[in-house]
Amino acid sequence: MIHCFTLGGVKLVYDVHSHSLHEVDDLAWALLYWELYQEPERAMSVLLTEGYTGEEIGEALEEIARLRADRLLCTADPFSGYEPPAFVVKALCLNVAHNCNLSCRYCFAGAGSLGQTAVLMPSSTARQAVDFLLSHSGTRQNVEIDFFGGEPLLNMPVVEATVAYARERGRAEGKEIGFTITTNAVLLDEHISRFLLENGINVVLSIDGRPEVHDRLRQTHGGKGSHAQVLSHIMQYLQRHREWSGPKGYCYVRGTFTRYNLDFAQDFRYLAGLGIDEISLEPVVARPTDDYSLRGEDLSAVAAEYERLAEAYLEMNAGGRDIRFFHFEIDLDGGPCLPKLLSGCGAGHSYLAVTAQGDLYPCHQFIGREAYRLGNVSGGSLPTELIEQFRTAHIYAKPKCRQCWAKFLCSGGCQAHCHLENNNILEPPELACQMMRQRLECALYVRSRKEQLL
Amino acid sequence: MAKHIKTITRSRLLKREHTGCGECQTSCQSACKTSCTVGNQTCLNTKTK
Ligand code: SF4
Repeated sequence: MIHCFTLGGVKLVYDVHSHSLHEVDDLAWALLYWELYQEPERAMSVLLTEGYTGEEIGEALEEIARLRADRLLCTADPFSGYEPPAFVVKALCLNVAHNCNLSCRYCFAGAGSLGQTAVLMPSSTARQAVDFLLSHSGTRQNVEIDFFGGEPLLNMPVVEATVAYARERGRAEGKEIGFTITTNAVLLDEHISRFLLENGINVVLSIDGRPEVHDRLRQTHGGKGSHAQVLSHIMQYLQRHREWSGPKGYCYVRGTFTRYNLDFAQDFRYLAGLGIDEISLEPVVARPTDDYSLRGEDLSAVAAEYERLAEAYLEMNAGGRDIRFFHFEIDLDGGPCLPKLLSGCGAGHSYLAVTAQGDLYPCHQFIGREAYRLGNVSGGSLPTELIEQFRTAHIYAKPKCRQCWAKFLCSGGCQAHCHLENNNILEPPELACQMMRQRLECALYVRSRKEQLL
Repeated sequence: MAKHIKTITRSRLLKREHTGCGECQTSCQSACKTSCTVGNQTCLNTKTK
């Protein structure tokens, strides 16, 4: 299976099953796009009338034949009989605080309350979660804990105690525990920053970009914009992070875009202009009835904007800046192993979320969807049938994904999103798929242009 | 030297094992929290080797 597309005047052919990327000229494009390479005689007669010589057509056909023989083009699907790995928990997302000090309108946690009563996770529950992770992680050497919410900095004593406890338990079990925290930065002061740096914790900081974009949807409970405060905390943290000489975690700045900022490449430029080097901007997850939701009619604007973002990214990198946009950093040469490419994030079987009360869900976005409660970290059995549903929800189990050129890059989309829109974890929502494919075309284009920069 | 097709990446995908070691970072933990792109994850094994 191949995917032929043009972007920025460049003709690209992505070979889906081998993950190879080729840049082609007009002649090779015509042969591949129209599948003329399959019928050399017809290819000759059609393309001779287009002004190509017989010699040129013969050469291009030969190049295609060579790449096919090397299994770099039009490769057949080698993995269709795939059996995913057994249930082993590798990562836990701890919702240490179900409440929040902001009330961002698009928050799937519902202004930090996740549809439940505002509550902080007690230290004892966090400890049980650590024990649960270690006892369900099988032979995994590297396990992960993510502090999430709500706003995790509202429960800093428990975050600190959990890191210390997990380190100690990890050492005893011979396992390495990696930590990530996702925060709105409102409470990110010097003390907390120091703790995060000293402990090598990965930090994901939320800001949507330009002040007016951010303040429209990320407001305080009193309805005031939070941009000024958040930005100043983020800049201070990044400064400390830069100056930190010891081992440290990564730091990504992430934003959400909605239909109110379909010109989100400007937000990328704005953040980059502040000296931020690692940026992610995500399409909002919303119900179609939400005023800020992205809709079918916005798709062409989103596609054009991803292209502008790609050009801005390339321009900055060409200027000597090592800037990253999370979704453009596709690693086609190395990249993750097969189970990951075929099953994505692992929600419900290798990645689980824990509420402040210790309840387990397939991921942070499933919290509150009662039918998906998987038990509690305090003990008791886990629903094997439900876990099995998630374990086997890989791309070959999703009819739409099986046929899709983006399958090994997208890995089957977000299960929670599938469920939210289609009430079926095996049915990805069309709008999200189209945006994913647009973004991936840009990522492949960026990869091809970066080649020129190297 | 190919004149019509320039190969940019030759992936090792076909050589990849059906069962990986499973040690790399969980994608939703990394930077997005809302949409999974896993193509950008790197293998912890090749990184640490
Ligand atoms: S873009 Fe959609 S159809 Fe394609 S692999 Fe991703 S979720 Fe599946």
